[in-house]
Amino acid sequence: MKRLLLLLLCLLVQPAWAIDFSADERALIESFGPWPPPMQPDPSNRVSGRAEAIAFGRALFFEQRLGGDGKQSCADCHLPAKAWSDGKPGTGGLLRNTPSLLDIRWNRWFGWDGAQDTLWAQSLRPLLDPVEMNSSLAAIAGLLRKDATLACGYRQAFGTAPEADDERVAVNAAKALAAFQETLISAPTPFDGFRTAMAANQPVPAEFSAEAQRGLKLFVGEGQCAVCHFGPGFTNREFHDIGIPYAVRPGLVDPGRHLGIRRLRDSHYTLLGPFSDDPARSTGTETRHVDLLHRNWGEFRVPSLRNLAHTAPYMHNGSLATLRDAVRHYSELNEERLHADGEKLLRPLNLSDTQIDALVAFLLSLSAALPDFPEAEPVCRVKP
Amino acid sequence: MRWPVLPAALLLLLMFAVPAWACLPGFEAATTLTGNGQSLSFRSDPAPMPLGKPFALEIAVCPPPRGLAVDAHMPAHRHGMNYRPSIRDLGGGRYRAEGLMLHMPGAWEFVFDIEGGAGRARLTSAYTVR
Repeated sequence: MKRLLLLLLCLLVQPAWAIDFSADERALIESFGPWPPPMQPDPSNRVSGRAEAIAFGRALFFEQRLGGDGKQSCADCHLPAKAWSDGKPGTGGLLRNTPSLLDIRWNRWFGWDGAQDTLWAQSLRPLLDPVEMNSSLAAIAGLLRKDATLACGYRQAFGTAPEADDERVAVNAAKALAAFQETLISAPTPFDGFRTAMAANQPVPAEFSAEAQRGLKLFVGEGQCAVCHFGPGFTNREFHDIGIPYAVRPGLVDPGRHLGIRRLRDSHYTLLGPFSDDPARSTGTETRHVDLLHRNWGEFRVPSLRNLAHTAPYMHNGSLATLRDAVRHYSELNEERLHADGEKLLRPLNLSDTQIDALVAFLLSLSAALPDFPEAEPVCRVKP
Repeated sequence: MRWPVLPAALLLLLMFAVPAWACLPGFEAATTLTGNGQSLSFRSDPAPMPLGKPFALEIAVCPPPRGLAVDAHMPAHRHGMNYRPSIRDLGGGRYRAEGLMLHMPGAWEFVFDIEGGAGRARLTSAYTVR
């Protein structure tokens, strides 16, 4: 009788596995965590992780006077309620869709083409881009010198009043913006709960459905998704051509990574340049060795798969409206669209509707609810 | 005078199969490759080679060559690395290659091109990263 009761008890606490995972699959799933990964300050940014710089960067992020027309802030395109993206496809002069800023601190390269190798350089780029905020080094520095509250925030963050050198002040503003964006980290998701339970051989949490488990099985197996989307961030942090057309319209092509590497090499706002605060250039190995190849044409950054529920539309140009469209893209992949050097790895997955539903369910399990983003205290209280 | 076949074969073997550790004592390699009169040993730093992170290779070539190049590619995917390694000549047949990265899991092949006294040698080594 005792044995029977024990057996029943064991059956009751057995994990509710919808399917079996092999030892290799379990090891791969284990490598998708823990979340979040360890956080290290950016050695190229001396104010990375500093509270005063984070507060100042936050104020700058919502500062509309930073726009060239005095009416546009970073937050106009990176909306907190949309996981710091804007929910729009690339339109007009902007060929690419606005990426989420959540978890951006773990990027290796920034922007869809990876033209920047630091978050501070990436923060400076849209400020100066004529198609985006259309400001200038002089205008940014002038605002920070003239406005008493911003000048106070600058002083608190950098220990000095805004200097006479416009470029130095603007780059420092970008470093404060980066310090703020480093704090935008997504919460653990239903998948993370499942992963933890799997490692401890505990029951599957109710939030991780049987359909999501089947989707995970496809993700790590037949779908080969984990060849590019691996690690806690579900990305290899590199670039691939996945058959999304890069000819935008007749006469206009988005070269993607090929242009990104050329821009990186032309820039002095890099890990190897004079504005890096790391004298040893200890994180510059990739910048030093990145290669410019013909196959970089039409390659775009492999995005993280976390927070997908909040970051539609998908792909570098936002051309796919729903997650189902994105999965269907891989299912019906048009190999003709892959250019000559296209990777042999990519082939149509020919998924059934049930399989597509399962993959979508798994991908949705990689999102957590977005936290509220409360109003901040003024960065400085300056008497008029 | 005709050479006996066996001693001649042994002599040839000695001439062309000199492992790197034989002329570079103290170099502990993970892998040793031989071919065309050259022997090359290498180990990674860090070890094992990581997935998606930069690493270096410590290399010893025997006899010391005039030049050395290293690359890696995924034969099944028909692509190489996104990074071009730089090679530092440490002298005496020792080299350090930096800036390698295996950005996808799976089967990779390292290719070492050696410019040696006996001509060029291409040595390859398979490696699977998970």
